[in-house]
Amino acid sequence: MLRLRGVSKTFGGLRAVQGVSLEVQPGEILAVIGPNGAGKSTLLNLISGLLSADSGRIEFLGQDLTHAAPEVRAWRGLGRAFQIVQPFPEMSVRENLMVGALYGTPGTSVQAARKVVERVLELSGLAGKAQHPAGELSLLEDKRLELARALATQPKLLLLDEVMAGLRPAEAQDAVRLVRSIRDSGVSVLFIEHLMPVVRALADRVVVLDYGQVIAEGRYAEVAENPKVREAYLGRGA
Amino acid sequence: MRLVLVILGLVLIFPALPLGRWQAFTLDTAQFAFIATALALSWDLLARTGQLSLAQGAFFGLGAYAAGLSAGVLGTIPALLVGAGVAAASSLLLGAATLRLQGIYFAIATLAFSEVVRTLVLKAGFTGGATGLPVAPAFGGGWALGGYYLAAAVLILSVLTSLWVGHSRLSYAQAATRQGEATARVLGVPVVRVKLVSFLLSSALAGLAGGVYAMKALFLSPYDAFGLGRAVEALVIPIFGGLYTTLGPLLGGLLLVALETWLRLEIQDGYLVIYGLILILAILFMPRGLVGLFRPRAKPAQEEPRA
Repeated sequence: MLRLRGVSKTFGGLRAVQGVSLEVQPGEILAVIGPNGAGKSTLLNLISGLLSADSGRIEFLGQDLTHAAPEVRAWRGLGRAFQIVQPFPEMSVRENLMVGALYGTPGTSVQAARKVVERVLELSGLAGKAQHPAGELSLLEDKRLELARALATQPKLLLLDEVMAGLRPAEAQDAVRLVRSIRDSGVSVLFIEHLMPVVRALADRVVVLDYGQVIAEGRYAEVAENPKVREAYLGRGA
Repeated sequence: MRLVLVILGLVLIFPALPLGRWQAFTLDTAQFAFIATALALSWDLLARTGQLSLAQGAFFGLGAYAAGLSAGVLGTIPALLVGAGVAAASSLLLGAATLRLQGIYFAIATLAFSEVVRTLVLKAGFTGGATGLPVAPAFGGGWALGGYYLAAAVLILSVLTSLWVGHSRLSYAQAATRQGEATARVLGVPVVRVKLVSFLLSSALAGLAGGVYAMKALFLSPYDAFGLGRAVEALVIPIFGGLYTTLGPLLGGLLLVALETWLRLEIQDGYLVIYGLILILAILFMPRGLVGLFRPRAKPAQEEPRA
């Protein structure tokens, strides 16, 4: 459903993403991994439209979105949760979700949006905090809000940027269950993650980036055995 | 909400109160207070998107001049609509060029716009230039309370617009745009359109207020209609009363104009010094404005280190 062809992005002299091609199938959970600075977050920004690609092509559900504005991509069904949580701090948790529900899918009425919000509040375990100011949540709640708000846009493909970072193992397990249930409800997932147990538990397929290029792709077990991947993670000559 | 309606009710019955020999003066003051409050409410409509405009005085002045120039030919109400239309149309031009700017850059661009408009009006022949422009009173002066109710009508319209926007889906988009523009876009909020619509509403109301002012003041000069003081007043009132609310600018506008008038009567020399002191103290001790005093919210967020 999502198809990238030779997507590149350069900052000054730094080639952050170089000729990346990848595909996400409907119903799939795809992990993008790689060492720090491999270009993972840049790649997500290119997909969600916060950055625009220097070259290459980004297609989603058969439409060319290479130069579309972020809001247009959201309307087409791309949802995004940020690594550094970005709640609207002066709004309550429920109001945060309302923004996504009202604007993420064109033509959503206020009533329909309220229903979506109540469902997402239940699903994400934030129902008890619905009235709470979003600027005063714990880290775990922040992460849940970030994910819940992306879900409230009713995406077809969810882009998750290290949503598990900083969580305790038990909390991460909850989050893994949540992401699985999201997929089971018919939403595809592309996620970036550093925690290998999470990648192993969740990903149907793994794409490995290093220096902005795809160096390996396949099932977790295959990729983990790949010498190029080991080298990228452990260092040259290790 | 209830307090807003009570205040609007008072506005409507105010002329019927037994004010004795003070009546003419208080009704006069009230009209200027209504106009200033309407302008403050209009400024707040755009401020809700996070854009700090210093062009509110320019839209006010454009509305004043457009209404003043056309009142003789068109009559009171159509002339006011022309004033609102001219202000709104110029906000579209300004907005298309500047709404992508943020924070201080947008503020400076709007300030520059105000200066350009003022200079144009000063130099153009048909505006009367530096000599000024005489304006006919509302409804040909035939209705003693006509000016009062016109000012009251603009105030009520501004209050209703502010309430309506505050309860509509647009309010979510405005607040999201203000609190995190990039995030808002990723969630599907068309932030440029949201800002443009807010700018349009805001400038149309400012132009309307300007037209009513022209018909009350009966004489316009570029220095008065486009003064920076008016743009500053339009933002001081919401800050004093409570930003991003309807009650805040409403209460703030009526109280501040009343306070200023009273100080001017009591202290002929240097009343602005006292007025300024009061404002400074108010902003220091009421960070969320008057509204914050009786709508306490949970304490501000503790800054926690985030992963």
